[in-house]
Amino acid sequence: MNKKQGPVSKLHRRDFIMVALKGTLGLSSTLGLIGLIRFLGYQSDPAPQTEFELGPASNFPPGSRTPVPEAQAVLYHMPAGFIALSLVCPHLGCVINSVEQGYACPCHGSRFDAQGQVLNGPAREPMRVLRVEQTPGGQLILYTG
Amino acid sequence: MKANPTRPSFFHHLHPPTIPAPQARFRYTLGAGGLSVYLVLLLVITGILEMFFYVPSPGEAAESVQTLAFLVPYGWLVRNLHYWVAQLLVVVAIIHLLRVVFTGAYAPPRRFNYLLGLALLLLSLLLDFTGYVLRWDEGVQWALVAGTNLVKSIPILGEGLYRLVVGGTQPGPAALIRFYAWHIFGLTLALVGVGAWHLFRVRRDGGIAVPPPEARRDASRISRFELVRREALAAILATAVLIVVASILPAPIAPPIREGSPLAAEARAPWFFLWVQQLLKWGDPFIFGVLIPVMVIVLLAGIPYWLPNPRPDELGRWFPAGNRAASLLLVILVIILLLLTILALSPLSTFP
Amino acid sequence: MQTIRLFLASLLLCLSLLGAAWLQSRQPRPVSLLPTLTGQVEYCLTCHADLPEISPSHPVETFGCVLCHGGERLALDADLAHSTMRGGRNPSEFAVVEASCGSGDCHSGTAQDQRDHIQRAVTSVQGTYAGAIASIRFTYGAQSDQTARLGVYPVQDDHLTTATGLASLGTFDPSQESSPSVKAFADYCLDCHLSAEPLPGAQYARLTGCAACHTPTANTDLDQPVHRLTTAIPYTQCNTCHNRGNYDLRQMQFHPRTDQPVDRLHDYYQPIAQFVRCEWTLDCVDCHTRFEAMGDGDIHSNKKEIQYIQCRTCHGTLDELPLTRTIAGQDDLALRMAFLNPVIDLKVGDTVLVTEQGEPLWNTRQLADGAFELFGKATGQRFTFRPVMGTACEQKLDQQESRDCHECHSVKR
Repeated sequence: MNKKQGPVSKLHRRDFIMVALKGTLGLSSTLGLIGLIRFLGYQSDPAPQTEFELGPASNFPPGSRTPVPEAQAVLYHMPAGFIALSLVCPHLGCVINSVEQGYACPCHGSRFDAQGQVLNGPAREPMRVLRVEQTPGGQLILYTG
Repeated sequence: MKANPTRPSFFHHLHPPTIPAPQARFRYTLGAGGLSVYLVLLLVITGILEMFFYVPSPGEAAESVQTLAFLVPYGWLVRNLHYWVAQLLVVVAIIHLLRVVFTGAYAPPRRFNYLLGLALLLLSLLLDFTGYVLRWDEGVQWALVAGTNLVKSIPILGEGLYRLVVGGTQPGPAALIRFYAWHIFGLTLALVGVGAWHLFRVRRDGGIAVPPPEARRDASRISRFELVRREALAAILATAVLIVVASILPAPIAPPIREGSPLAAEARAPWFFLWVQQLLKWGDPFIFGVLIPVMVIVLLAGIPYWLPNPRPDELGRWFPAGNRAASLLLVILVIILLLLTILALSPLSTFP
Repeated sequence: MQTIRLFLASLLLCLSLLGAAWLQSRQPRPVSLLPTLTGQVEYCLTCHADLPEISPSHPVETFGCVLCHGGERLALDADLAHSTMRGGRNPSEFAVVEASCGSGDCHSGTAQDQRDHIQRAVTSVQGTYAGAIASIRFTYGAQSDQTARLGVYPVQDDHLTTATGLASLGTFDPSQESSPSVKAFADYCLDCHLSAEPLPGAQYARLTGCAACHTPTANTDLDQPVHRLTTAIPYTQCNTCHNRGNYDLRQMQFHPRTDQPVDRLHDYYQPIAQFVRCEWTLDCVDCHTRFEAMGDGDIHSNKKEIQYIQCRTCHGTLDELPLTRTIAGQDDLALRMAFLNPVIDLKVGDTVLVTEQGEPLWNTRQLADGAFELFGKATGQRFTFRPVMGTACEQKLDQQESRDCHECHSVKR
């Protein structure tokens, strides 16, 4: 009997089992965590609408500035064509009010000119320009996405 | 696990330094009490996860359950786990009650703790029932109506109690929100509170029931570290088995309760109340649906006080001679309840 | 030793979690659809994505599936998802048609909005079977005249527009009948109406309700679902019920035909009947109008009271031209019908034939030289014909009924 080798091999095996145990527990925890993150990551609310039908282009005469409340935007008929400005404040997302000569945000006082450029206020970006397209049938579609 | 014997962790400290080895064995306790505690923990965790998606409003409740069951990743697992762990808790709690009575472990000073345990069983049944109703689908509609109307059948207090439970004149949005509040908070708080008290009393009454030192044949003991190791083993094993069960057997689901929902040909109570449903086929709702079940509870509660207790040296083993009457009573009661349950499952048209 | 046990238990836990992950990966990836009419997301397409679009007028992006079929929109388990479907394979079954095809904004409304399809079909003779029931009961002495009193389901009409319209019909209940022949009729002959229990088999599932006509299943591959709604109904669809065999009134039996007819003229129709070319070339719907097939909104006792199309409706008589109408505006019913089934490019200003009751024969058009063209609604085939007036027709002036035309124009077989 080789007494010197006995205790050494016992220690070796015990450590291995401990490592294996910690490994399987760690793996279980990781699997559980991944599952938890996937579980909590599910979105049940449908994505908000990003396309809005505005009706015939003839409803918006040249030079007009028409608010589109359901899209939180305002539609301009410029000489070059149709564009829209988003009324969602580029600062923190409040809905901007229309005032004479431009726009003012009620939350933190940002002000913008009629073209959406920043006049003053905590906002640093101009109002977002949104895409407007015209179908062959003359209908306008506003894209907020 | 590597634990420092001179500085035990909080968890180790919750356990006594040592406990007698014979009574710590699985064949004595069946681990039923400890398993019940762990199952409650699993229920709280899976329940909280379900709360991220469940909507307690009649129009959306059943649909949110469908979202969990079919659309949320692992939602089916969380839901099935919650369901099976809940049913297992009731079964394990009953096994624990049987074990306690058959080993005479309710004898003084443990009589009050026995009552606390009985209260925990009742709370578990109420939690199971309120959770069942929250599905708000065609499978639970009649249990909801019958169960709440039973409350109304209680003389004098019935109408008031019904308004308290249902929140209106008939089960509807108010009842659902109240059942939800009871399930996730009211009853859970009570369960955790009474449960903590029950566990405290276990420690204060001297731990697992054992004979006095001079009557012990085997004086060996196990340390708190060994005890915690055993509990960890049981917990890990139970979790693995429950995950497998939840993966294979789905929790029940049925179409939502809506205007014009078809009436079920055979309305069935949840399994743990089938014996009450059978009783109710025989007569007055108050007598058969409230009075008799209350008498069963009173009978169970009276065992430590009205029937002979085992002698102290008889403790620590199954079926001592000293509490034969209690064991016999419990066996008869269990057989009766089982028979009632089986009868309840037979078709409505046949007698009884 | 204890540690080994703990390790094995943890291994088991690991494996169970991996098993759950594997099961999760096997779940079908939910395919969502957000119909614009309901705003509620549906997942039917997860399994049913290969179903064809039912019709150009009912695009799935607008209607979704649940609006017509019912069912659980979120469930991915077949049994639960289909558990609350209306009418099984046929949501247009009369028992559920109001919830499926009706529902306020669709095919249920008033004659003024031209949305009374369900009201008309449900009160029609095809639906109530009132004619057959009244005739049998009259023949065997259960009632003293041929005015209908009973239908296969009770129905009421509060708004009568014709002279022969009835206010209501009760339910035909064979247990209340005393004549054995009437009882036998109830036993053997109640398969043939729009609310009958369909014969077993997937190919018969849509032979009731609106689908009986508008979902043509005859001569289709029976293994494929026929997910279609159309107004271009071929004659084979009508013949699925109307040319299935022979009745024996004495034995009160129906004898289904056993042959497989191929040639329409020689094999398809009964040997004793006479047919003119229209009748074995055109489809039934090319002549028989909406009022005739679907009812005019009134409860009638017999199909004689509702069937009124004659040869002269299109061809006129020796001294009368057929009735016509010029389409004046975009709202004209003829234009809308032609839009739904574009076999003819009708425009404002075109002149179409109309019936005596004002129903437009929208698949016809008057040509510059006074002749007419007709396009088959199911085939798109073009036919031209002249009015009778000014031709060499030898019939007497006072004998211009369809049966008189048949004297010369029926085909020898």
